[in-house]
Amino acid sequence: MRRVLLPLALITVFLGAQGSRPVGSQTPDRGLFGEFPTRNSVSAEKGLPSTWNPETGANILWSQAAGSQSYAGPVVAGGRVFIGTNNEGNRNPAIKGDRGVVMAFDALKGDFLWQMATPKLPSGRVNDWPQQGVCSTPFVEGDRLYYTSNQAKIVALDVAGLKNGNDGVTDEKETSATDGDVIWSFDLMGEADVFPHNLAASSPLIVDGILYATTGNGVDEGHVNIPSPLAPSFVAIDQKTGKLIWESAEPGSKIIHGNWSNAAYGVVKGKPQVVFGGGDGWVYSFEPKTGKLLWKFDANPKDAVYRLGGSGTKNDIIATPVVYDDKVFIGVGQDPEHGEGVGNFWVIDATLEGDVTGKAVVWKRGGDEFHRTISTVAIHEGIVYAADLSGFLYALDVKTGALYWKHDMLAAVWASPLVADGKIYLGDEDGDVAVLAAGKTKKLISEMNMGSAVYATVYPKDGVLYILARNRLFAIKDGAKAAR
Amino acid sequence: MKKAATTMGLNRTILPIVLTSLAVAGVAADWPQWRGPNGNGTSSETGLISTWNPTTLENVVFRIPHVGRSTPAVFDGRVCASGRADGRYETIGCWSAKDGARLWERRYVVHNTTIPFSRVGWASVSGDPETGYLYAQNGDGQLIAFDREGRTVWQMRLGEEMGRSSGYGGRTHSPLIDGNSLIVSIVGASWGEQAPLRQRYASFDKRSGKVEWVSTPSAATVEDFNNQANAIVGVIGSERLLIGGGADGWIYAIRVRTGELAWSYRFSPRSLNAPVTIRDGIVYANQGDEPLEGGFMGQVIAIDGSLKGDLTASGRKWNSDGITAAFAAPLLDGNRMYVTDNSGNLHALDAATGKHLYETNLGTIGRGSPVLADGKIFATEVNGNVHILKPLADRFETLSHVALKMPEGRHVEVWGSVAPAYGRLYLLTENYLYCLGDKAAAYKGPAVGAPSTTRPWPAEATWAEGPLASIALFPAETRVTPGEKVTFEVRGFDAQGLRVSAPAATFSLNGLTGTVDATGVFTGEASTVLQAGKVVARAGGFEASARVRVFGELPWSEDFEGGKVPGHWVGAGRLTIADSPEGKVLAKGPVQVGLNRATVFIGPVTMKAYTIESDVRATKKGRRMGDVGLINNGYTLDMQGVHQKLQVRSWASELSFAKDVPFAVESDVWYRMKLVVVPGASSTVVRGKVWKRGEAEPAAWTIEFEDNVVMEAGAPGLYGDSPADIAWDNLKLTSNR
Repeated sequence: MRRVLLPLALITVFLGAQGSRPVGSQTPDRGLFGEFPTRNSVSAEKGLPSTWNPETGANILWSQAAGSQSYAGPVVAGGRVFIGTNNEGNRNPAIKGDRGVVMAFDALKGDFLWQMATPKLPSGRVNDWPQQGVCSTPFVEGDRLYYTSNQAKIVALDVAGLKNGNDGVTDEKETSATDGDVIWSFDLMGEADVFPHNLAASSPLIVDGILYATTGNGVDEGHVNIPSPLAPSFVAIDQKTGKLIWESAEPGSKIIHGNWSNAAYGVVKGKPQVVFGGGDGWVYSFEPKTGKLLWKFDANPKDAVYRLGGSGTKNDIIATPVVYDDKVFIGVGQDPEHGEGVGNFWVIDATLEGDVTGKAVVWKRGGDEFHRTISTVAIHEGIVYAADLSGFLYALDVKTGALYWKHDMLAAVWASPLVADGKIYLGDEDGDVAVLAAGKTKKLISEMNMGSAVYATVYPKDGVLYILARNRLFAIKDGAKAAR
Repeated sequence: MKKAATTMGLNRTILPIVLTSLAVAGVAADWPQWRGPNGNGTSSETGLISTWNPTTLENVVFRIPHVGRSTPAVFDGRVCASGRADGRYETIGCWSAKDGARLWERRYVVHNTTIPFSRVGWASVSGDPETGYLYAQNGDGQLIAFDREGRTVWQMRLGEEMGRSSGYGGRTHSPLIDGNSLIVSIVGASWGEQAPLRQRYASFDKRSGKVEWVSTPSAATVEDFNNQANAIVGVIGSERLLIGGGADGWIYAIRVRTGELAWSYRFSPRSLNAPVTIRDGIVYANQGDEPLEGGFMGQVIAIDGSLKGDLTASGRKWNSDGITAAFAAPLLDGNRMYVTDNSGNLHALDAATGKHLYETNLGTIGRGSPVLADGKIFATEVNGNVHILKPLADRFETLSHVALKMPEGRHVEVWGSVAPAYGRLYLLTENYLYCLGDKAAAYKGPAVGAPSTTRPWPAEATWAEGPLASIALFPAETRVTPGEKVTFEVRGFDAQGLRVSAPAATFSLNGLTGTVDATGVFTGEASTVLQAGKVVARAGGFEASARVRVFGELPWSEDFEGGKVPGHWVGAGRLTIADSPEGKVLAKGPVQVGLNRATVFIGPVTMKAYTIESDVRATKKGRRMGDVGLINNGYTLDMQGVHQKLQVRSWASELSFAKDVPFAVESDVWYRMKLVVVPGASSTVVRGKVWKRGEAEPAAWTIEFEDNVVMEAGAPGLYGDSPADIAWDNLKLTSNR
């Protein structure tokens, strides 16, 4: 658990990787939080490494400095890796001070390609927390990237940046070849009166040309009053034009803190649904094209009480729902600043309609058996892999919730487990990434320290693992060897 | 490994300052303030336990049900602590340190604050062995001096009187006793030149509560209201310095008797919450945000505290990067230092170089500062983990690890530090105040109330012979009634901030109507009901001023036609006077930078039995509409535009003690609002009325609320939250008598 600060210089690549898509490949490609619209982070990738060593460079294909705080991404598509971070990486020395930054790198070589660096909101931490950067994991499809900026704008960018010319809107302030190219943006504050609490952080989801996002709408700095209860918490926006298609003001004045969950999409008994975790601790499912509410589910017990600190039993939802087998899998939690506490993890029957609280419960886990979480589950071969903020990773039977095993990471977990190549990858706040064998028997394969906290979820692509530590992005591949 | 009581900066002393800690071997040591008798987390106590068990009560001498998140103060044979109770109160109590017998407990209704209940009682109380007084700063800004029997010697409300903002984060500084002074940090916006939002330190005469100085070390606005880098006092070279981390990310060293800035160091772009530790002229500090170099989080540093000026470029002796330790104070132990990081890891570093030596894991959330005594480290972790460790050359040896659980099975929260005193350990948790020790061993402390022989801080020479370098007027800030006389004393100081005799002074007034005579006696003009300004003194070529506010009898009225926001109002910096068809009005619009919320106090906290009324208006903008209201005696009547309701509340973040009624607020319409508060024997009745201006006042109250606490007095004020324009006009206060 030693904290190792790696030098900022680009690590030299000794071994070229095979199989990564070069930049500019014509193959349509997609990258998003959870890899799939269902948000079930189970990858078909094979041949992924089980061990590596950032200090010796073993199995490190390349690494690059990010900002000082990185919570979003990585996602990989079209031969590029994208992360959300802050401006402490100083990629453009002309840009001073705090900003929210999306960075793009060449997935194969690790070269920095471009960044979109957005100034902070003048209103300060209540809407745009210092140094948190961009906390929205981008959705990338073809030549476009979509994310929620720190200014609470949903933004479409050109995946190539300005290098291939200025497409879409042309009022970008930074216009070098390594700056970002905005195609369109939708201003949640200016156009929908949203009051994002601390930071709008939704990782967008696009299905069939419609972008779905939560807005971050929440309390003011006094933490009780909802200053804009009529503003939407959930929006659907046209992928091409950036125009609003529908919005839902649920949960409005019932928001506990803020709306930071993400949308998931699934087809349940032939009927598509877009499912959001709500800032009131309810789960909401809508008809994707119209925004018609299909069902909602209260994920807090009726006697739950909202209190800061460990004594509170009522939570909101920061994790992302996962749609799997006509069910929705979701755990409740709070801002990690509120500390650890009891949580509730629910498996909800998504085939019912209306207020399905109680009756839709397939199984649940709570009390001291599942704590507050902001982590999203991965479901694979009959096992749910779920982590909580207290640092436990649970392997649970998908049908019953019975515990196969649990693993104590010995540090807070914000990231979500990735299942790939028969393994589970999970990072923690001490900067450790644990690799465990997928299956009903617990087996810790290895644990590696990345030098700073790993809040983001590990992303696999083309035989390479992308791991974003708080201040550094790593590409990891069996057989690679990078020199310092 | 036994730690002797340490001295600070003895080798650099050039003035005849006696620096002895009287906690000598064989005499049981107090733990009178949160960082102990030496101000550095160490104690000379021995015979402390290595193991205990909260289930079998092994080595639990006693435990008292008390809910808190601070570090106890142990002095005078007493253990005292802040805490919270019944969802409504901050509670301060003292018990016999020998057997836990309750001595006294005082409860305060938390009000006029946005701190949430679970963060109430965060500041530790401080004991003064000299007077026997106990000092507390409550989460809502109530500052109290108690005598040994728990009677109030003096008290203030720093929010209403000095503009302190408690914020939601709730981190509250522990009051610091040094010599004859009590020093607190205030983050907020007051009046006059102190209207800008800043972090300030205020020094009070510890016996009277009169203000000695208010220091604003930074011209920069605060980065965050949330600041808990409790300042400590150290003697470095010839200077006695108050050193603490600021809400703007700088560390400031201030001459403790004058409030003058000695040096500063830019440590972080963000508010600092970890206190520093001083040893031999070196200031050790840690933080969890981006340091100056940028690009990563967390840094531990050592600064040469003997330098002067801005030390950012020159003062750092070493830095150890990447340890995110934003809350706990560092702990020095010979050639090692220990740092608890935010994630609950305890690190050992080489104190001379910062080189990382080894570490251990305490849990997942590190907040409490580690303590060293009897060769052992006592370290807490938020999720109920209490560790007793023996530091070795290459590792921490665990002597015991206790994981405290609530009856319902979840962890017990532990935010404070262990306080070793009298051969025992005192520890406050979410459910108990523990006294841990060998039950078979004799109690080593004094009897309750026995005058203490220990003096916790390095003693100082109170008078010096050096040339006069500055003067100050005492009291530095005061509140009087028209015609009331105040005598101002001119105090002289040398360049080190030590008292020297002051030559004869001449006095004048700045902004005040009244007289000041040649002996410094100020008398406010009897016919001027409300005013604020300064008394100015000149002596020996130096100038000093004292701030005075004058409040006369009700009725008061204000129609704003004078075009100025009244100068005696606290926290009114963001209000403006606007023109409207009806004449001038008091206005607040959406802000570009910072918060839309404003709480303004316009009279003394001692006011009672009055009615406040005003015209109020809110204007819709998009889907947003502002809130506008009045404050009377601890209660706010808030007309909430976007929520279309009226609300009466005393505590904005805990609305179980509030009442709402639906109310159709029309945009851009003037209403008349009236608020009356009537305390009774066991409850307080709050009555509010709102009607359209120009219409007849309705007979019935629009909102009426009986609160089951007694609120006896409180400052009048204005409340507003302005995502869209809000305004007040024709403000009036009248007596109910």
